[in-house]
Order: sequence, then C-alpha cells, then structure tokens
Amino acid sequence: MPKGDHIDTNIHLIKQLPSATAFVNIDFEVVYASDKWMELYKLKRTEVVGKRIDYLFTDSNSDLADTLNDCLSKQVDKTFEEFNYDPTGKKWYEWSCNPWLDEQENVIGLILTTEDVTQQKLTETNLGRLRSKLEIISEIGKIGSWEYDIVEDKLIWCSVTKKIHEISDDFVPNIEDGIGFYKEGYSKNIISMAVHDAISGGSGWSEKLQIVTAKGNEIWVRSNGTPVYDDGKLIAIRGTFQDINDKVLTETKTKANEKLLHTLIDNLPLNIYIKDTESRKILVNKAESDYLGFSDPSELLGKSNSDLYDSDIAEQLNREDQTIMDTLVPMINKESSIRDKSGKTTTFLVSKIPLLDENGHANGLVGISHDISELKQKEEKLRNLVDVASLQNKKLVNFAHIVSHNLRSHTANFSMLLEFLIDEKSEEEKKNIIRMLTNASDNLMETLENLNEVVAINTNAGLEKKPTNLNKKIETVQQNLTAFLKSHNATIINDVEENVMVKVVPAYIESILMNFMTNAVKYKEPNRKPVVELSSGHQNGMTILSIKDNGLGIDLKKYGDKLFGMYKTFHQHKDSRGIGLYITKNQIEAMKGRVVVCSEVGKGTTFKIYFNDED
Amino acid sequence: MTKINSICIIDDDPITVFGVRKMLSLVVDCDNISSFVNGKKAIDGIKEQLNENDSIPEIIFLDINMPIMDGWQFLEEFIALPVKENIRINIITSSIDAFDKDKWEHYQKRTDHLITYNHKPLFKKQIAEITKKTF
Repeated sequence: MPKGDHIDTNIHLIKQLPSATAFVNIDFEVVYASDKWMELYKLKRTEVVGKRIDYLFTDSNSDLADTLNDCLSKQVDKTFEEFNYDPTGKKWYEWSCNPWLDEQENVIGLILTTEDVTQQKLTETNLGRLRSKLEIISEIGKIGSWEYDIVEDKLIWCSVTKKIHEISDDFVPNIEDGIGFYKEGYSKNIISMAVHDAISGGSGWSEKLQIVTAKGNEIWVRSNGTPVYDDGKLIAIRGTFQDINDKVLTETKTKANEKLLHTLIDNLPLNIYIKDTESRKILVNKAESDYLGFSDPSELLGKSNSDLYDSDIAEQLNREDQTIMDTLVPMINKESSIRDKSGKTTTFLVSKIPLLDENGHANGLVGISHDISELKQKEEKLRNLVDVASLQNKKLVNFAHIVSHNLRSHTANFSMLLEFLIDEKSEEEKKNIIRMLTNASDNLMETLENLNEVVAINTNAGLEKKPTNLNKKIETVQQNLTAFLKSHNATIINDVEENVMVKVVPAYIESILMNFMTNAVKYKEPNRKPVVELSSGHQNGMTILSIKDNGLGIDLKKYGDKLFGMYKTFHQHKDSRGIGLYITKNQIEAMKGRVVVCSEVGKGTTFKIYFNDED
Repeated sequence: MTKINSICIIDDDPITVFGVRKMLSLVVDCDNISSFVNGKKAIDGIKEQLNENDSIPEIIFLDINMPIMDGWQFLEEFIALPVKENIRINIITSSIDAFDKDKWEHYQKRTDHLITYNHKPLFKKQIAEITKKTF
C-alpha cells in the first residue's frame, strides 16, 4: 500500500498499476488514477484529476458519496458493486474501497480499485436461474437428490427427498434411517444389497422399490445411486430419489385392465379377431386360434385369409371384409358356413364392425363369430323329426281316407243292392242281386283283411329285426316261386354279394322279395322272356337291393305318385289288385328303409330298396 | 219318361254299373247306355264316336278311383275334346277326401260342361234329378 507524499515520486508506478485504481483525497477529488482505470471508464486524465469522483458517476451511483463517506469515517475497507450501462451492453463493476493512509497512519483519502465483474455476475445469474429451474423440475417430477459421504458417514437429503419421505425439513437422516424407510422384504433387501455393493464393489443401482413414509404411506419410488471417486478412492455415493407411485399405480391399473380384457376376450365362447386393411389378423383370441388349429393366438398374427382358407373361401371372406371397410356399414349376425382347410364346415353367426381412424376411414375391422353348428344340427334334427311326424300324419290321414273310401264303396253297394232287392219282382233278377250281394260281401271281407294287414305292419313295432343273409333269402323265395317262374319262362339272376347281411323282419323280407319278383314277371313284356336281375350295393351305410326287370315298364310321369298307393293298378291285368306294392312299401318303411323306382315304358322297371340297419 | 239318346257309365266296379243301369231303366227312356271299366277305355270310345260323327253321350256317370286312367285324368282329356254340346258329367265317388272336392270345383270352372258331384250310394231319386233335361 503506497503511503504519503511518496506517491508523487511513484506517479509513473501508479499509472502503470495492473488494476484499475484511483486515489481520491478526503474531499473525494481524484488525485491519481491508473491507465487501466481511465481505460475502464473511457476517460481522459485531464477530465479526471482534481474532479470529485462522486460527480463523475452521479448518473449511475447517487449514493456513492455516502458509501465513500462511510468508508472514510469508519476507516474500514468496503466492497460494493456498481451496475453500469455501456454502449456494448450491461456491465457490472466491483469497487473496493480502502482508506489511504500517510506515514503517520492518518487518513488522507481513499484508494478505489474497480474490477469488471460482468462475466462473473452473468454466470451467477445463470446458475441461479438454473438452480431454480432444477428446483421446479425436482418439485414437479418429485425427483429428489441425496448424497452419502462415506468418509464422514453423513447422509444428506434435499428437500424434495425429504418431502417424499414425508419428514420435516430439519430432519437429519443417517444411512440406517435411509434404508429403514424401505418396505420390509423385497424392497429393503434390494436396497441393502445395492448400498452394500456400491460401498464394497463400487457399482451403482437403479431400482423400483417401495418405501413406507414417516406418515405410514406405502409408495413406489425409483432409487438411483452412483459411486463418487476422488483420486481413485470411493468417497461418496450420490443419487436421485423419485416418487413414481402415481405412475406405478396407473401402470398397474392399466395392466390389470389389459389383463381383464384379455381374459375376457380369451374366455368368451366366441371367436374374436381384429384384421387390418389387408385382412391380416392383428389380434386373435383363443377360441379363434383353437378353431383354426393353432396352439397359440400369436401364431396367427399377420396371417391373411388366403393363408388360412382354401382360395374360394378366402376370396369370399376378402370380398366381405373389403365391403365392410369400404362402406363402413357393420355386418351383424350374418349366418355363414365356412369350410376350413381340413374340409370341415362350421356354421357361424358372424358380426364384422369396421374400425375407424381419426379421419373416419376404416383401418381394419373387428370380427366376432359365434359357432352355431351344434345349434344348427339340433335344428336340423328337429326339422327332420317334424318332417317324420308330418309324414306320419299324412300317412295316417291317407290311410283314414283309404279305409273310409273302401268301406264306403262296399256299403254303398250293399244299400243299393238291398234297395233293388226289396222292389224286385222277378225271381231271376232277385237271384242275380243276391249273387252280387255275396260278391260284395266277399270283397268287403278281403278289403278288411288287407286293411288289417296294413294296420298290423304300421303298428306292430314288436317284430324284431334280425341280421339276415340277403342272398340266401333271395334263393329261398326263388325256390318257393319255382312253379310260377317256370310257367312264365322267367330267369332270375341273383348277383347279390354272398355275404351281405341286412337287418330285417324275416317275414317282411320274404313278402317284399316275393312281391317284387312276382310283379317283375307278372308285368312282363309279352314279346320278351322275363329276366329279373337282383344286385346289391352300399351307400351312406345303407345296403341297397336293386331289382331290375325287362317288363312293360310304367309311365312314372302319369302314375309315379300312385304307384305305391292302395288299390291303384296301372295295367289291364287279371291279377292286379293294387295292394301288393302298398303293403310292400309299408313293410319297408316299417323297417325304417325306403324304396325308389325308375322305369321306362317298354324297357323295364328297377326298384331300389334301401335297408336301414338301425333298430 | 225323359228321352235321352246316349248315356255312358265309367266305373270299374261292376255292381255300381249294374245299379246305375237298373235305376236308369226305371227313370229314363234311353236305348244307348254304354259302360267302360276305366277312363282310358272311355276316352278312347268317345274319341272314336267323335271321329265317326256319331252322337256322343249326353250324360256321363264318372267314377274317380279307377286303374289305368282315373276320373280326373279322363276329365282332363274330355274337356279338351272338340265337343259342341254341353254334356252333363256326374261324378260318383265314395271318397270323402276334401282334395277331391277341390278338384271338382277346379274342373267346374274350366269347362262349359255341367259337372256335378255325388257320393255313393246313388239313389233312384238322384238319378231322376240328374237325367231331367234342364241343361
């Protein structure tokens, strides 16, 4: 510190001082100033020396005089900051103000040193801003920080960390407290090991754990820790501490919802799938993957209709999907039969709903298919039952009409003839009428017997079906008919497989075979020797017996519906009674079989009998 | 007694044919009563009469259930024949099937011939009614 009058001699030294320094006397008049000081304030020496310093800076620093006075009277060092506007921008200067003493330690003025602290000041401001920003982030994100000084065994928590723990700001935690907050069990074990590892091995951690706060609330946190080294020596562990409870709870809830939805979709007894615009599957439930024969729904992802179905079905599905996505009209409960690649057809009730993007265009569709095959089968069965019932009913009504008609025609004859008899005078005519009455009576008797037989066939369910060798049965009937066949010069060709067994009522099969064989010969074409061929075949588990003749044939267009009717005859033949085929048909149907006929006039007739092995 | 030129009975039951003939002999004067055992024989006979310009029957008694060609099939062919006169056709049947009655009404509408419907047995009174020349 230069002192007293020596200054004068040292003026050139002051001039060259490396810092911006000015000397003022007790009247605050500038006595000396270094070149640096001039430069700093962009002043000339003549403008400064002898001028009061507080006047030089009146604009910016009105209380400069007070400060200087203060400094002078108390004889203390003072530092203050001055803010200045400079053409280039904001400037900050720091003034140091020291008493100027002579050799007798008397204050003769003040030594003022000025330093440009703008840069420093800016850095400070930024730091402050940064710090407050960090605090905001930390507050909002609930991210706190902490540091454990290993050397000092001191744990420091920031205010946010403390807030998360729900402890007061003045709480001073130690490392045991820190670990103690973690929930017993998994969380505490993990953090203990992590801290231990970090201290011994020097590795960091990042864990999602649970703590129990000071107020007893259980919350999820993310704890991070990083070892800090100094000269290769571990001195501390530093880290962050974040409250992620809301996030974890939301995540857990979302996951639970997702799981619920998945469980629901997977366990619904419906096939559910989502397809993209190219009809590729992007979501499939278990029922759909089971139906398509995949063990896991994920195997179906990305698969298109043509990957999963035969081309005709795939095309049909593609068209359907495209229509729905083009028109945006949902398809609801459409019944469709889909054949899978194994060839099995399943009937579904299908609903397809277009999925819309935010612009209202379809970006896929969701499909729901309900397998109603079983229902359909039941419906089919029921319909068959109804058909059988109505057929039975029809047969019954038909039979009632037959009975009524036949009895009526006979009784009508009786009453008519009896009326004649009463009025008849001629003995000859009386005899004639009585002869006719006897005839009518015989006819009525025969009709009743026929009707009885039909009733017996239709009601006698007690007759048991027995496995019978068809070929042998034909041979037996053929033998019984030997005389008849011989008299007609008829040939029987028995091509029925030797081991074919049919389940039939033995009495019926004989009557059936007898009737068909005699008919085939009886209605022969006069110019041909009758030939009857019998052969067997199989279809849908039923045995078919074909009986083919070369006889007259019959015009089925005219008589088809009457062929098996009662008392219907089609040929002028003395033995035609119109009862044989009616009874035969009843016998076949009583054994749950059926009979069909094809014929060509002049060529011959083929009857096919279907035998049903069911009881 | 009403004089009728020609009457035809189509029935496969000889007793009915006998009965109708007998009753006719009591109520009408007719020298030409023919009978056929089925529709086929009848229609063939009538066609032949038409071809030879013979007079065809004025009254026909027609059974329904007959072999070869039944009453309805006969009617179907008969109404298609070029017969100028209106013929009276009496269906006589022992059927009480409503289906047959519907068929009768159906044919009635399709032709100018008078078609009536009677159940067996037929009595003299009915025969007299049928043969009255009111048509």
